[in-house]
Amino acid sequence: MARVNNWQIGREMSYWYPESRPRRQFAAVFDTNKCIACQTCTLACKTTWTSGKGQEYILWNNVETKPYGSYPLAYDVKLLELLGSQEWVGDTYAGRTIFEAAPAGERVLGWGPEEQDYAYPNIGEDDCAGQVDHGATMALPHMSWFFYLARICNHCTYPACLAACPRGSIYKRPEDGIVLVDQGRCRGYQECVRGCPYKKVFYNPLTGTSEKCIACYPKIEQGIQPQCFVNCIGKIRLAGWVSTPDKARPDNPIDYLVHVRKIALPLFPQLGLEPHVYYIPPVHVPESFNRQLFGPRAAQAVKAYLNAKNDPDLAGLLCLFGSTEMVVARFKRQGETVVGSDESGATLVQVPLKEPVFVRPAFDPRFQLIRINCP
Amino acid sequence: MRVKGILFAAALAAVGLTSCARSPQRAPEVVAATVKSVPLDPADKAWAAAPEHLAKLVPQDLVEPRLVTPTTPELLVRALVDGSSIAFRLEWADEDPSDRTGPLRMADACAVQIPVSREKDLPDPQMGQGDRAVQVTYWRADWQAAVDGRVEAIADLYPRAAVDHYPFEAKPLEANPAAQQEMAGRYAPAKILGNLRSGPRKTPVEPLISAGPGTLTPVAWQGEDGKGVFAERRWQVVIKRRMPEGLRPGDRTAVAFAVWQGSKQESGARKMRTGWIGLLWRASS
Repeated sequence: MARVNNWQIGREMSYWYPESRPRRQFAAVFDTNKCIACQTCTLACKTTWTSGKGQEYILWNNVETKPYGSYPLAYDVKLLELLGSQEWVGDTYAGRTIFEAAPAGERVLGWGPEEQDYAYPNIGEDDCAGQVDHGATMALPHMSWFFYLARICNHCTYPACLAACPRGSIYKRPEDGIVLVDQGRCRGYQECVRGCPYKKVFYNPLTGTSEKCIACYPKIEQGIQPQCFVNCIGKIRLAGWVSTPDKARPDNPIDYLVHVRKIALPLFPQLGLEPHVYYIPPVHVPESFNRQLFGPRAAQAVKAYLNAKNDPDLAGLLCLFGSTEMVVARFKRQGETVVGSDESGATLVQVPLKEPVFVRPAFDPRFQLIRINCP
Repeated sequence: MRVKGILFAAALAAVGLTSCARSPQRAPEVVAATVKSVPLDPADKAWAAAPEHLAKLVPQDLVEPRLVTPTTPELLVRALVDGSSIAFRLEWADEDPSDRTGPLRMADACAVQIPVSREKDLPDPQMGQGDRAVQVTYWRADWQAAVDGRVEAIADLYPRAAVDHYPFEAKPLEANPAAQQEMAGRYAPAKILGNLRSGPRKTPVEPLISAGPGTLTPVAWQGEDGKGVFAERRWQVVIKRRMPEGLRPGDRTAVAFAVWQGSKQESGARKMRTGWIGLLWRASS
């Protein structure tokens, strides 16, 4: 094992291969507070990439209701139990990652879902964490809660799928950090399925190979956001490029959310993969749950997000989510407008911080009658 | 006691019916007998001409992922040659056969490994090494089922599965099979790339070459074939391949074997294997 730096856990760690970062890293920010679990993203992906024979159960993108939803069944709870109780000391993870906790003879600490584990893609859907008592009133965090967690492959810096594959059939592209299974080389051993803690590699029984999210790389290569991003009706997603903290650029939308304002956090950073889908945590969920999923900065992230209304730069950037099909590489607020541009600085989109509001008077003076709000 | 004795006799008879006649003494190495034409059927009488070798299997525990718990303990091996081909008959006990793959569902399999060149200094028995490659011929139970006529479809794997729709089977495309095939291919990149794992399958075996763990690579088909039959809780598999390079009657080379038990989630590096075993082409039968 090599020693590598993982900025998300604030320390060096052991990994199967030496550190080798791509020239730039594909990344995404998902705002959990906007997701309504309509599954449009799921279908956009499904119809584009996984409508073939043998792919029936494969969901490169899925949306699960937390705390009880999971696909495959209990993918997160099972691994957390295997890993056991671990600790953070401040922003540094003092516990063991899944590479450091690998049992003798294994490359990573993992487990393999059985067929039945894929039988309940919508388990726990809209289920609350508890009963709502009679007479209860709303307060933050909610006494009873749930939220939607949209998931794709995290295109990690240290992919467990890549480490687990004994024949090097999985690779991370140096040009964009997208992690792919070489469909010509894969022999379907399913080590990647066992190894990925997010269970985002799926075995196709009819091609005999394992398949995973490709971050719509044919679109990314043209500067266009993936299918699950551009079809999101809640506009919860933003695709782009994330830097390491030392190279963060404040005008890069992903860097701004992840490194400058620190409101977008990785999912289960303690596992050690340095995943690159960053989540704005749900504001109404108990801190302990957010902390388990998103690490020790979850509470601060919620606080900063709730203050966005007083923070025009942050509010402006949040307005860029879902505003254009193109990948926004740079952003800038100009007064009441936020401008998104590409790498060359060419404007892609301009969005007002506040949408103009037109108030239609309740009384129509022309016809001398009171308007009613129905068509 | 009498009932037990009858049952024991019946069990012996059953083994005798399904396996080849046992040699009075097992050969200390694999001794290939010469026949006119090597058979593919593991029940063929010709196998009786070859002495039986009992190969002890050990877990693959040298490279990660390792097999930590031993499974299949041993393998019975016979070999026949006809001058252009060599065939191995492998037989092992399997209480829980598996001839399908799915999530964490692996198929039973076995393989024969022979060094590319017959040198005294043999390559590493674990998949060869650097400049000393090994040839591997690999048989798998689900491929055998496909060759035997099983249609590979989701409805066969999961009889209660209901599929709404495949876009390439939409009504407007029905009159255009080429367009259907092209569209179906978009959802099966492994097949389009010619990955043999995706079929179509003419034989249940695959020829490969390897120069160390993780380097296994398919090679062009050169007449490799095989046939596996499961009966009486035992797999009997014939793997046929071309003769080892330069092997003449009376010559000796080396051979190694591996067995994967699907029901124990064995695949790839998680396998039971032998070390190198002598392989002698017996000059006369």
